Amino acid sequence: MKYIKRLSQISTGVGVGALLAVGLSGCQQKPADQAAAVQPQQKNAFVVIEEVTPGKYKIAEEFPAKETRIILKKLDGTEKVLTKAEMDELIKKEAAKIEQGTSPLTSPEGAQMTSGGMSIGQAILASAAGAILGSWIGSKLFNNPNYRNARRAGYKSPSAYNRSVNSFKKGARGSSSRARSTRRSGFFGGGSRSMGMGRSRFGG
Amino acid sequence: MVSLRPVEPLDTHYLEELGFVWHTDSDESPYLADVLVEVTEKEAEAYYEAGNTLYEMFVEAGEYVIEHNLLHEIGIPFNLVDLVRESWENEVHWHLYGRFDLAGGIDGKPIKLLEFNADTPTALFETAIIQWAILKRNGMEEAAQFNLVYEKLLENFKRLVTLEESVELFHERYEGWRFLFTSVRGNVEEENTVRLLQHIADEAGYTTEFAYIDEIEFDGEEGIFYQEENYELWFKLIPWEDIALEEPDLARLLTRIVLNRKAIIFNPAYTLMFQSKGFLKILWDLYPGHPLLLESSFEPLEGKMQVKKPFFGREGESVAILEGDGTVLVDLPGEYDAFPPLYQEYVELPRDSEGRKYQAGLFFAYESCGLGYRRGGEIMNNLSKFVGHVVV
Repeated sequence: MKYIKRLSQISTGVGVGALLAVGLSGCQQKPADQAAAVQPQQKNAFVVIEEVTPGKYKIAEEFPAKETRIILKKLDGTEKVLTKAEMDELIKKEAAKIEQGTSPLTSPEGAQMTSGGMSIGQAILASAAGAILGSWIGSKLFNNPNYRNARRAGYKSPSAYNRSVNSFKKGARGSSSRARSTRRSGFFGGGSRSMGMGRSRFGG
Repeated sequence: MVSLRPVEPLDTHYLEELGFVWHTDSDESPYLADVLVEVTEKEAEAYYEAGNTLYEMFVEAGEYVIEHNLLHEIGIPFNLVDLVRESWENEVHWHLYGRFDLAGGIDGKPIKLLEFNADTPTALFETAIIQWAILKRNGMEEAAQFNLVYEKLLENFKRLVTLEESVELFHERYEGWRFLFTSVRGNVEEENTVRLLQHIADEAGYTTEFAYIDEIEFDGEEGIFYQEENYELWFKLIPWEDIALEEPDLARLLTRIVLNRKAIIFNPAYTLMFQSKGFLKILWDLYPGHPLLLESSFEPLEGKMQVKKPFFGREGESVAILEGDGTVLVDLPGEYDAFPPLYQEYVELPRDSEGRKYQAGLFFAYESCGLGYRRGGEIMNNLSKFVGHVVV
């Protein structure tokens, strides 16, 4: 009968044979257990950076957005949209410092040093926009625990940080940036009812 | 008595390398039995034919349900009715795969349909991969199985594009539509079942990606998006009734997306009809006394031992076995009591020498394609074991 097969009839290089040899994770680029590691957000961001004391900046607001935009609010009340060239230049300078290990973003004291505010370049990199524009810095930033602490300290208020994290996690479209969008996400955000290594609760 | 062959179990390290990490149950007992059920070629053949016959009956009965507006009777949530109808009426909504749960088939007992897991079948990894691995581990090179699950799924993935029996024209007709695979975050069995399907789709030739459901963006007019990329094909291992009841906004958006032809969703919404236990009563109405069916009713059966199960229950929860006079013999509590019940004639499952019971799981992907067993007590639940088989 053609639906019955012997193990010896299974070819080794493909299909079941390949899976038996190297497993599902061996066949994948991203093993399941690494999926939860910190990764740069791939979405674009709308970021408001505010000058808190002369020359010192903090992140006031950020939302997921269709394209990445950074608004700079100066102490004198003026606002300026940074051009792509300006953003790139600022990130490039800060990236060089990260490379040399002199940026407060990636040093253990970063959180204290940045608690009073950062340079514009640091603020951009600490924001979600940095995650996008500076994605080529990649793992240097995102897997650095000092960066994560500094990043948290770089927000104007803890609630600005939390709001930002949540809005990106849910992928919810910020009302200011995508008011006309009808896209929805974050469904089943509470995760599975049968969490962890256990068996599925359905299918049987 | 069920005939068993002892085997060396697979070590957990190898299982985890395979991606099979749910090898231990919540009571710390191994989920994989260290025996194989011995099945004769003739028995395997009978399972194969039974699955094909049953599927034809499901399709006939599905048409009957749609024509006679019986979706409410079998418990389809009102907010999925349009989607169920649309998916049924438009042929692009191809059923990828399902699993029949069957009593009998071995030990001289006739095959009887218990239910059809048509929407979100698990035990795929166990059946398609793990029981081959058991043969390999035990040096059983010349041992055989009724197990073409992987190959038949790969073919059926191609049929989602060719929409006919032949898959020859897949590469000619496939226009690069992106295929997104999804589970709910936090359950590794569901996630790796989905990743296995994604792997097979990759091999079939699709451009694929994986995302958790909470990461995906849905737009009724524009379709399904993940990281700003549009996906025309979407597989979700999430029960349709959960979508209807827990995320009604998502049910509404998916209806818009499908009606606007922005994406095709697998398994299609009409598989929820097949999945409903209420459907078993329709089958019995249309094929009364059919040898593959058990008597089924929305009312208690008179004078017969019977099983009471909710239309949409899982893992044996809220299932009870009743005497002919209604006395409860066995009762598994659960969270599905709110669904209307189906009463199905009781049938004894084949047993081994220790009195443990065996229920067959027959995978179906365009045709019957593979067999596995679950072993447990009177009612199979989430502590039931997976038992592989060998054709003798």
